[in-house]
Amino acid sequence: MFSRWNWVACGFCLVLNICSPDASGGLVQSCGHIIPESPVLALGSNFTALCILNESCPDFGNIYASQIIWKIKNRVVPKEQYREINRTVSSVTFNDTSLLATPLTCNILEDGQIEQNIYGITVTVGLAPEKPKNLSCIVHQMSRFTYVMTCTWDPGRHTFLDTQFRLRYRWPEEIFPDCIPKDVNNSCTVTDIQFFVNTEIWVEATNVLGKAESDPLVVDPINIVKPLSPQNVSVSSGLLPTILKLSWENWISNAVMTLKFNIRYRIVDDTDWMEVPSEDTASPRTSFSVQGLRPYTEYVFSIRCMKEDGVGYWSDWSEEKTGITTEDLPSKGPPIWRIIDKSHSPACWTVHLIWKALKPFEANGVILQYEVTVRDKSSLSSPVKKYNVTSTNYTLQLQEGTYEVTLIARNSVGVSPPSVLLIPASNSKAPVKNLRTLPKHDKLWVGWTAPNSYVLRYVIEWCLVSSSSDCIIEWQIAPGDVQGVELKGIKPFKCYLITVYPLYADGQGTGQSVKAYLKQDRPSKGPTVQTKKVGKAEAVLTWNHLTVEEQNGFIRNYTILYKTIDGNETVVTVDPSKTEYTLSSLASDTLYTVRMMASTDNGSRTGPDFTFTTQKFGKGEIEAIVVPVCLAFLLIVLLGVLFCFNKRDLIKKHIWPIVPDPSKSNIAQWSPQVPAKHNFNSKDQMYPEGSFTDVSVVEIEAEDKKSFSEQDLKPFDLLKKEKSTSEGHSSGIGGSSCMSSPRQSVSDSDEGETTQNTSSTVQYSTVVLNGYRDQTPVQVFSRSESTQPLLDSEERPEDHAGGADSPAQRQQYFRQNGGQDEINTDRPCFERTKQITHANEGDLVGFVQLQISGQSSQPLGLGMEKNTQEAALSNVLQTYTEGQTVRPETVEENPLSVDEMPKSYLPQTVRQGGYMPQ
Amino acid sequence: TGVVPFVALLLLQRRPVAGRALLVTGSSCSSHGLCRSNVQEQTRRQVAVLNATAQELFSLYLKCQGEPFSSESDKLCNPAGIFFPAFRVNRTSERKEVMVAMYKLFAFLNASLGNITRDQEELNPMAKELLERLHNTTKTTRGLISNLTCLLCKNYNIFQVDVRYGDSSKGKSAFKKKQQGCQVLRKYVQVIGQAARVLLPHLSPS
Repeated sequence: MFSRWNWVACGFCLVLNICSPDASGGLVQSCGHIIPESPVLALGSNFTALCILNESCPDFGNIYASQIIWKIKNRVVPKEQYREINRTVSSVTFNDTSLLATPLTCNILEDGQIEQNIYGITVTVGLAPEKPKNLSCIVHQMSRFTYVMTCTWDPGRHTFLDTQFRLRYRWPEEIFPDCIPKDVNNSCTVTDIQFFVNTEIWVEATNVLGKAESDPLVVDPINIVKPLSPQNVSVSSGLLPTILKLSWENWISNAVMTLKFNIRYRIVDDTDWMEVPSEDTASPRTSFSVQGLRPYTEYVFSIRCMKEDGVGYWSDWSEEKTGITTEDLPSKGPPIWRIIDKSHSPACWTVHLIWKALKPFEANGVILQYEVTVRDKSSLSSPVKKYNVTSTNYTLQLQEGTYEVTLIARNSVGVSPPSVLLIPASNSKAPVKNLRTLPKHDKLWVGWTAPNSYVLRYVIEWCLVSSSSDCIIEWQIAPGDVQGVELKGIKPFKCYLITVYPLYADGQGTGQSVKAYLKQDRPSKGPTVQTKKVGKAEAVLTWNHLTVEEQNGFIRNYTILYKTIDGNETVVTVDPSKTEYTLSSLASDTLYTVRMMASTDNGSRTGPDFTFTTQKFGKGEIEAIVVPVCLAFLLIVLLGVLFCFNKRDLIKKHIWPIVPDPSKSNIAQWSPQVPAKHNFNSKDQMYPEGSFTDVSVVEIEAEDKKSFSEQDLKPFDLLKKEKSTSEGHSSGIGGSSCMSSPRQSVSDSDEGETTQNTSSTVQYSTVVLNGYRDQTPVQVFSRSESTQPLLDSEERPEDHAGGADSPAQRQQYFRQNGGQDEINTDRPCFERTKQITHANEGDLVGFVQLQISGQSSQPLGLGMEKNTQEAALSNVLQTYTEGQTVRPETVEENPLSVDEMPKSYLPQTVRQGGYMPQ
Repeated sequence: TGVVPFVALLLLQRRPVAGRALLVTGSSCSSHGLCRSNVQEQTRRQVAVLNATAQELFSLYLKCQGEPFSSESDKLCNPAGIFFPAFRVNRTSERKEVMVAMYKLFAFLNASLGNITRDQEELNPMAKELLERLHNTTKTTRGLISNLTCLLCKNYNIFQVDVRYGDSSKGKSAFKKKQQGCQVLRKYVQVIGQAARVLLPHLSPS
C-alpha cells in the first residue's frame, strides 16, 4: 500500500518532460506521439495508451508498430501488455494504474538493436474527492449586530490532486455566494448570515477526477449562535448580609434572541465555583440577586448566556466581578485555650489566655474587640473580672484555683455567643487513649480513642520540635464527638510534638503526647563518630545524637561500619538511644576506619570516616610485667633487709663497729675500790641531754693512703697522742665492755691479733690507723698498756682553753648523732668541737676513735683548719703525754710532726695492721 | 419555478425601480425542503425583530443626518408625500391576505432600505452603527421575504405577487436622499408596528 501511494505521489509531483532536448525535439517528435497526452488517472483504474507512428520518419525511415517498445521510467513494459492495432499504432494497457510510473515512453528498436525514443507522456494518478462529512456550523456573535458563521467538516481522504472545497448555502429562494476556504480545506467562515431563515448549508469538493457534496445541513442560524457573554457586569450588596445583586447587559435584544443564564460565584480566596441553580436564571433578565451568601464576605461572580431554549451554544464566561456582603453578628465565639505557667510559684499561676481570631465566615465582619470575663469558681465571693482586649491573647495572674473564663467577640453589628473555658485547679481527669498519627496527603491526621467519660471537646496542641528554639505551641479545638482531626500547616521532614487534652464539663484531662512527622526523609547528615577509648582488641566509640533538625525522621537505628585498610567492612547495628558502642575482637596495632550511618524509615545518611589504631599491648599487660618485677625486686630487697637485720651484728661489725663512747666514760668517777657504784649502763645518768653520745668513724682506705701527705697525717699523730691520753682514761677497765669497741674497729685482718691482744692486759688503747682489708695502715693507735690514772687536768679541760691558738693543734673529726649537729655538717669542726667543749665541761672525756676512710677526703681538708678546742686538747696532750713516741712507719718521714706529737706515757711500737702491747 | 421571480424581485430591489409593477411569474413552489413548519414562527420573529429595532433605527438615522433632521424631523420626515405600500390588513383579515400584504410591504422596504443604506454609505460612511443597523434590517427584510415566499407558495400556492417599489434616490441631492430615507423610515416605524400586531395572531404557534 505504501509503495502504491509512494508511486502515486511520484506521479503526482513529477512533471518530467520526457522529450528532453534530444527526445522532445522536432526530429524525434515527428516520428510519432502518444495519446492520451498527459492524462490524470484515477488510482486503481485501467489505462490504455496508444503510440501512433508517423508514416515516414526522417531519422529512422520506415518504422512499424511491431518495433515499438513501451517503457515506464526505464523499465520495459512486458510485451503481453502490448497490442499492435495496425502497422503504425501500438497500444499498451495497464489494469491497475497504481502500477504505473512516469514517464511512459514509446520507443522503437532500430536495426542493430538500437533503441530510440519516439515519445513520452507524464501520467498523473490521484483520487476523486470524497464526500465531506461531519459538517457543522456555529454562529459567533462578534458585536451587537455582527455575526459570523463558521462551518467545519471532514474533507475525507487525500486525493493527491488539486481539490477545491467550497461551502455553499442558500435560502429557499436564494443562493448565496460560495465560501471558499483559505489555506485550509476543512472550514470556512461566512459573514453574511441571517437569522430566522432556514438555511441549507453544504460543502462541495471538486478536482479533475470528480466532485462530491456533503450532506446538506439545514439550520436556522439563530439556533447555532454562540452569543457574546453579558457585559458590564456589576455586583451590589443588598439590605441583607447574605445577598448580593448581580446586574449586566446583554449583547442581543430579546427580539432577536431571548437568553438564559448561568451565574457562578465563589469566595474570593476559594477556587471552587458555586452556581446559581439554572432554573433560577432560565428566563431573560439583566439582573439577579444571589442569596445564601456569607456576611461580610467578598465574592467573585461571572455569568454566561445562551439561547433561552437551550439550542445553540453557551457564551464564554463574562469577566469576573467582585462584591462584598454586609456585616452580620459573629456566628460563634472564638476558640479559647490557655497556657499556665507555674514556674514562679505553684500557688501563683501566670495564665496566658489565647484564642483564635474568628474565621471571616464566623466573624461576619470586622472584630472590634474581645471581651474576657474571669470568674473564680472556688470563691463565690470573688468579683467577676472583665477585660476588653483587641489582641488574641491576654495574660492573667491568678491564684491556684478553678476559674471560668468567658470570651466574646464584638463587631459593628453586635457580639458573638460566648466561648467558655474552665481552668480547673488540676488536670486529673481521664486522658485520651491510643493517641496516634497518620499522614494524609499534605495533612497530618491525629486520632485518639475517647475516654469513657463524656467529653465536651478536645484541645490539640502541637509544636515544631527544635533544638535551637522553644516549642512554639499551636493548637486547635475539636468537638467532643470526634476522635481525630487533621492538622494543617504541618511541614514535611519536621518533628512535631502533639498533645491532646480532653475537656470535660467539670475539668480537664491529662494531656497525652506523641511525636510525629508528616513525611520523613533520610537524615540530612550522618553521625560523627570518634573513639573514646582504644585498646588492644577493642575500641569504645562515641557519638552525639543528631539534632532534631538533622534527623528528618525517626532514627530507627545507627549502623556502625568499620574496616581495616584492606579488610572487609563489618556492620553493626546499634540502638538509636545509644551514644556509645564498644567494638570488640579488633586486631591489635591495626588501623581501622569507622563511619556511622543513621537511618530513618526513608533512608540513611553516613557520617564522616574516622580512623583509629588499636594498641599494641592490652590494658594491664605492661602492668602485669612490671608489677611482678617490681614486687620481686622489692621482695628481694626486703629479704635482703631482713637478712641484713638478722645479720646486723655481723654487718655492723664489718660496717659500723661499736666504738666505745668516751663520753660514757666515768673513769673520772671511777674508783678502783668502788667500781660497782657506777652504773655504766644508765645513759640518763651518764649522758645527759646534749651530751656527746656518738662518734663517727672514718675509714681510710688503704689504697688512698698514699695520697695522703705527711702533712695531712699530722692530725693523726696528734690523735694518736690524744688516743694515748684518752686511753689513759680507760686504763684499768680493759675488761669492760667499753673496751671491746676499739678492738672491733680494727680491720678484719687484724682480728685474730686483736683478739690475742685483748686477752692481754691493756691499760691504754691506741688508735691504730690500719689498712682496710689487708691494706697497709697508715697509722694505728694501739692500745696502751698504761694504767696511769687520768690527771686532774683532764677532768677540767676548760683550764687549758688558753692553748687553743697553738699552731700545733690538730683537728679532730667527729661525726655525731646528736640532733643539733646534723645540720652543721658544713662546719663540723668548730661547732662540734665547741659542743664537745661544753660537754667536756661536764663529763666529756676526749676519747676519740678516728677511722679514716679512703673514700673521704674531708678529713684532709678539714685538717688544715685550726680548731681552738683541738689546740687545747693538743696542749693537754702535749702536757701529759710527753715522752711517748708514736712511730708509725708512714709518719717517720715527718720528723717535725713526730717531735710535735704529744708523748704518751709509754713509748709504743706500732706495727702495721695492729697494735702491740707495750 | 418559484425561485426565479423572487430572485428577480430581489435583484430589482437592489436596483430600485419606482412605481413599476413587477409581475412575478411561475407555476409552482420550490421543491426543496427548506420551507419547513418553523417558517411561520421565523416570520413572526423576523417581524418582531424589525418592530423592536425600527424606532432605534429611525432615531439613529435622524441623529446621524444632523440638522435640520435632528430637530425638524416631524416636518422633514413627513411621509405623506412619498409612496409607501398600503397595509390595509388587521387581525381579522384573512391570513392569505395578510401574507400578501406583508410580502408587498417588505419587498418595498427591502428595496428602500437598500437605497437608504447605499445613500448613507455615501453620505455618512463613518456612521458605523447606523450602517450596521441598516444592513441588519435590510438582511432581516430579505429573510422575511424569503420566508413569506415560502409561506405563500407552500400554504396558498401563490407564485406571483405584484410589487411596487419606491422612487429611486439616485441622482438626487444629499438632502433629498436624507429626506427620502427619513420619510421611508418614519413610515416604516409606523407600519412595522402595525404589521407586528396584525401578524401576531396569524403566526403564533398553533
